[in-house]
Parts: sequence; structure tokens; C-alpha cells
Amino acid sequence: MLDSFILFIKNIILWPPVFYLLIAPGLVTILISLLLLIWAERKIAGRIQMRYGPLEISPKIGGAIQLVADLTRYMLQEIIIPRTVDTLPYLIAPIAGFIISLLPVAAIPISPIYFPSPMTNSIIVALALTTLPPILNILAAWASNNKFSLIGGARESFLIAAYELIVILSAIGAMVIYGTSDFTEAVSLQKNLWGIILNPISAIAFYVAVLMATGRFPFEIAEAEAEIVMGAYTEYSGLLYGLSMGISYTRMFVYNVIFSLLFLGGWQPFFTIGGHIFISYVLIPATVVILKALIVSLTMVFTRAIYGRLRIDQALGGAWKFWFLVAIVGLIWGSALTYLQQVI
Amino acid sequence: MEQINNVGGFSAKKVDDKTLILFFGPQHPSSGHMRIIVKLDGDIIVESDPDIGYVHRTMEKLSETKEWIKNSVLFERLAILDAGNVTQAYIIALEKLLNVEPPPRALYLRTILSEINRISSHLYGMGIFAIMIGSSTGYMWFFGDREIMVQLAERITGSRLTHTYHIPGGVRRDVSNAFLEELEKGLNYIERRLKDYEVMFVNNPIIRSRLENVGVLSRERAIELGVTGPNLRASGVSYDVRVEEPYGAYQFVDFEVPVYKEGDALARTFQRFDEIRQSISILRQLIKSIPEGPVLNEKYLKLFTKKMKDIWDAEKRVKFPSIFANLRPPAGKAYGRVEEGRGEIFFYLESSGEAKPYRVRVVTPSFRNSILLKYLPVGERLADLPAIYGSIDYFPPEADR
Repeated sequence: MLDSFILFIKNIILWPPVFYLLIAPGLVTILISLLLLIWAERKIAGRIQMRYGPLEISPKIGGAIQLVADLTRYMLQEIIIPRTVDTLPYLIAPIAGFIISLLPVAAIPISPIYFPSPMTNSIIVALALTTLPPILNILAAWASNNKFSLIGGARESFLIAAYELIVILSAIGAMVIYGTSDFTEAVSLQKNLWGIILNPISAIAFYVAVLMATGRFPFEIAEAEAEIVMGAYTEYSGLLYGLSMGISYTRMFVYNVIFSLLFLGGWQPFFTIGGHIFISYVLIPATVVILKALIVSLTMVFTRAIYGRLRIDQALGGAWKFWFLVAIVGLIWGSALTYLQQVI
Repeated sequence: MEQINNVGGFSAKKVDDKTLILFFGPQHPSSGHMRIIVKLDGDIIVESDPDIGYVHRTMEKLSETKEWIKNSVLFERLAILDAGNVTQAYIIALEKLLNVEPPPRALYLRTILSEINRISSHLYGMGIFAIMIGSSTGYMWFFGDREIMVQLAERITGSRLTHTYHIPGGVRRDVSNAFLEELEKGLNYIERRLKDYEVMFVNNPIIRSRLENVGVLSRERAIELGVTGPNLRASGVSYDVRVEEPYGAYQFVDFEVPVYKEGDALARTFQRFDEIRQSISILRQLIKSIPEGPVLNEKYLKLFTKKMKDIWDAEKRVKFPSIFANLRPPAGKAYGRVEEGRGEIFFYLESSGEAKPYRVRVVTPSFRNSILLKYLPVGERLADLPAIYGSIDYFPPEADR
């Protein structure tokens, strides 16, 4: 009886859709990654800025679980809902925003044979799903009925128009080389040469567009504290504020999983341990992918310690006049590479 | 904006539905103790209306209820980060009324404190400026390094911020030679760090692009608006009270007044860096040439009791002669001017021969510069408002008095 129950639970957890959305690269992994990323962001910035960073909670491990303390505080804090807001969308926006920002993992495989939904165009589906969360950001801005929120939402909508195209064009720049829109196949083709070597131009454009998409410095424009308080999330407090903070980190992590699959060889180098199917085909590849994504994310949070904040016109001008062209050049480069390969 | 109605001092304005009126402050992360009412057309500021007075403490009126010496404690609350310079202006005016002169060593010590205060005031202003344009590293660096100057000031005066160091006829404490060595070390550190600031902060391409050609103040406009201090000099006007009307030990040292002609936020930033360099050079000259001798005027030294002399010999600390509690300057008027970190501070004192001032009037540099918040942001983008606010180094408590 007990054995069959344990087997039942195990089967449920290991059922790919559940495993992907809840364990890796879904909720649990993302929460642990957030813990690590935000801690590392504070610690790296602290080291550069002549201070310690978090040290009050768990000083023996360098304040690593500070985020747990912060989240506990957010959870215990009263959620103040201003009288003037449009309550239903105001409540929905950060919650849905957080969940939807997790959604692309449904189409992102982290193992060659074990994936949530077998599809031949997973790259396109994943990229399409990453474009959804900003709409919730604009919804939060509109529902808040606050001028600073409104300006933040307007800035976010300008930025979406600028970065989405770059993300998608540079992803296509990689896709034309692999000749497929399936992550599993794209990764298996990167066995010897990673995509970043084949098409560095698209990789750089993708990286910068992700910085812009997730509001990392110097593109922290939509929630610029010194200018518009907290952008779209000015009126939020408590757990809703904590969730809204998590959205950009979650999006960054998901984008970087896509980045590592497209350009950094995904789960390559791939190796198996005889007799351990689960370890060989799920744990090791998942760890490799997540580590790569984490390292890229770390370089992204590191920019906070170096740069200031660009003005919206400078960011948009840079995106349209420079990075958009770079993405096009990357696409041309990828096509030319494919053409040359066919000819030679 | 057209004023359509004026009833009993209230003015009503026509609502314009194409623009957005944004209340930038007083509860805004970067507004300080003030409010700027900006009118936005899209992202462009078409009208900016600084609304000051949120931290008005009635200092001028309040000082009429306090004895002369107690007022120096009151006035250093004007600009707590630059307290030495503020008190110095008041004490200079008071000394003119009392007709006493500080001895040379006291003049040197006053000037040393002034320049330490100037460096720490500039670092403070720069730190606020850095966080306003999103450079958290700049913020932490400037504030962290300001600590060196604050601690040096503490070594001289015994307190970190509100020094109350100047007294009529001299200063309250003498310094040892060990302090002068410490000061030299601190200056070397700041000089080394200035290069780091340039790499990480001003010459950082992102920061530079935020500052160049933002909030341009032309030479003519600066003179017309009566701007003072580094903001005036960054617009090409070489005017510095330390040169125009030397006080303290400035007549004994050699220094330049840095001037920039661009008048934009970047020039104002470079201006402050250059002023820190000049302060370092002034301090080095003062360390070399500081004379020995008493730090209080003979007139008051004569009044010392034996116990006060013992304390002076042991700790080099001035105990106030009882006359200080009850100073009665002869009836008359006097003024004191000092070049503070943010510009010229002016004290006008009027005595009627009583133990308390008859009238005190203060003109603070931040008050004179606050007018810039009305004219500089117009035509710029909303994101430039914090950049302009930070670059003029505006300090609301000082402006509001």
C-alpha cells in the first residue's frame, strides 16, 4: 500500500509537465536561483561599493538566505490597496505577471529525451510566451491610477516595442544556422561548436535585448526609482510588491535558459552514467543548463554596480538605431553561414 | 499659463488637457524636502515650479530669542553637512561687531576646517547626484569616502557634523602635529580616489551621456538669476568669496578658482571635482605653513581662571570665559560672507547692545540656487529633472532656513 503510494507520488512528480513547471526549470529552481542571484547581486555590488552586503541574517554563510527573510517580511506585511485603484486588475496584475513569466518553461526542454511537451517548434512557442508578462506590467500601471505608475507603464510599452524585435530577430539569427525551430535539435547540433561562436553578433544582440527586457542597468528605465518612484508598481505593497519584484528576475532567468540553449550549447557537454537513467538524462543536463543560465544572469545583475540609468530616448534610440541593425546583421550573418555551408 | 481668476491671494489656473501635472515630491525618493510641480507634455517638461519651505525652521526670528553665542549652535543646523563654513560666516560678522580679531593659528585652523567641510560637502552632493542618475556605486563611494573627511573634522572639533568650532576671537580646540599627519594621509587617499571616480563615475559612458548638454545654464542667465557658487563658476563666471573678500587664512595660500564655460550638468560635476583638487592643494599648503601660537584672542585669554588654564594646557581645549554667556556687542550692523561648499553664504547682524541680536538675516547659497529648478528643467525630459536637481547640489534645509 505505502510502496504503491510512494510510486504514485514519484510518478506524478516525474511526470514531465509537473516536473518542468514545479521542479526544474520551474518554480523550485527559479526560487533557488532568485535566492542565489539576488544574494550574489547584493554581495558583488557590496564588494565593489566598499561595503559588506547582507550579513545580518545567517552571517556564517554570508547572509545567503537574506531573501527568505525579505519574503517573510513581505508575506507578513499588510497589503494596502488604495481606494482609487481598479481593484481586480490591480490584484491580478502582479500575480498573473509572476505566473506568466514562468510559463515559457513549458516549452523549454532541459534534457534530450525528457521534455514537457514534444513539439517541433518549441523555440517559437517559448519566445512567444516570453512576450506576455509586460502586458501585465502595463495593466498594473493602468489599474494603479497613479501618475508615476502611468509614466512607468508608458515607458515599459515603449521599451517592449524596442526589445521584442531584437530578441526575436537574434533568435532567428541562431535558428537559421541550426535549420530548426526545435530546442532539442538545436542543442544536439551544438555538440562541437556552440552557437555563440557560430553567430556572436546575434548572441550579443540577444544579450543586450534581455538586459533591456528585464530592466537591468543601464536599462532600468521603467521603474527608475529616482524619477518615477517604482514605475508601474508604485502603489503596491506587501506580498504583491514582492511578487512584482520577482517578475523581472524570473524573466531574466527564463530568457537566459533560452540564451544558453540557443547560444551556449544547452546541456552540452552531454555525458551519461551507465545504469542511472534519471541522473544521466534529467539531473546532469538540467544542472548544466541551469548553471549556464545562472552564470549569464550573474553577469547581468553585475551591471548594476557599473552603470547608471539611461534616459528613455537614449535607450530607444540605441535600440532602434544600433541594436536593431546589429540583430539584422546577425540574421544576415547566420543566413550567409548556412548558404556557404550548402554551397561548399 | 493663463491666470483666469484671483480671489484673496488664491489663483486659479485653466486646466490644460494635453499636459500632465506631476507633483514631484515632497514624498518622492529624490525630491528632498521640497516639491517640484512639473507640467509634462509627453516626456518633455514645459513648466517647472519649485515649491520650497517644507523645512522652514524660522531660524532668523528664532535667533532673536537666543544669546549671541548660542546662535552659532542654531545656525549650523542650516547646512549640517557644511556646518563649519556656516558658523564661520556668523562668527566673522559677530567679530566685526565685537571688534576682535582671531590670532593667526586660529585663522589657519578655521580654514583647515572650511576646506575639509568643502570636500565632504562636495562628496555628499555628488553621492546624492550619483544615486539620482542610478549609479549606486558612485553613491556608496562618495558617501564612504566622505567618512574620511567627516572623521578628520571630528579629530579637529570633537564632533562629526555640528562642530560649533568657531567662537568670537578664535576657535575652541587646538590640534596636534599627529592630526596634521593624519590629514595628509586622508588627502592622499582622496586624491587617489578622485581618479577612480573619474573612471567609474563621470567618464562612464552612460553617466556622461546623461549629463552632457543637460540643464545648460548660460553665463548671462547665471548672472541674471543671481546664481552662486560652483554652479556660477561652471557657467564661466569666476567669482569666489575666498578671492573677492579673503577671510581666514586664504590670503596666505595660493589657489586657483576653477571655471568651466559649458554650464551643463557635466561641467558642474567637473567643477566640483576640480574644487576638491584645489581644496586638497590649499590644505597641503596650510599644513606646511601653520604657525604656532594661541588659538584665542588675547582679550579673552586674559580672562582665563587657573582651572581653565590647566584644561587648556592639558587638553588644548578652550573653556569658555563667563563673558561668552553674556556677550553684549555694541550697537551696530555687520555682515559676514563665506564661500560655502554650495556657494556664498551671507549673514547680516544688527545689534542694539543687548545680549540677544536685534535682527539676523541669512542669505544661503541653496536659496539663491533654488531658482534654477524653475528655469533649467524646462524643455528637458522628466528623467533629466533628477539629473539637474543633483547637479546643482541643492540642499533644501539650507534654503528654507
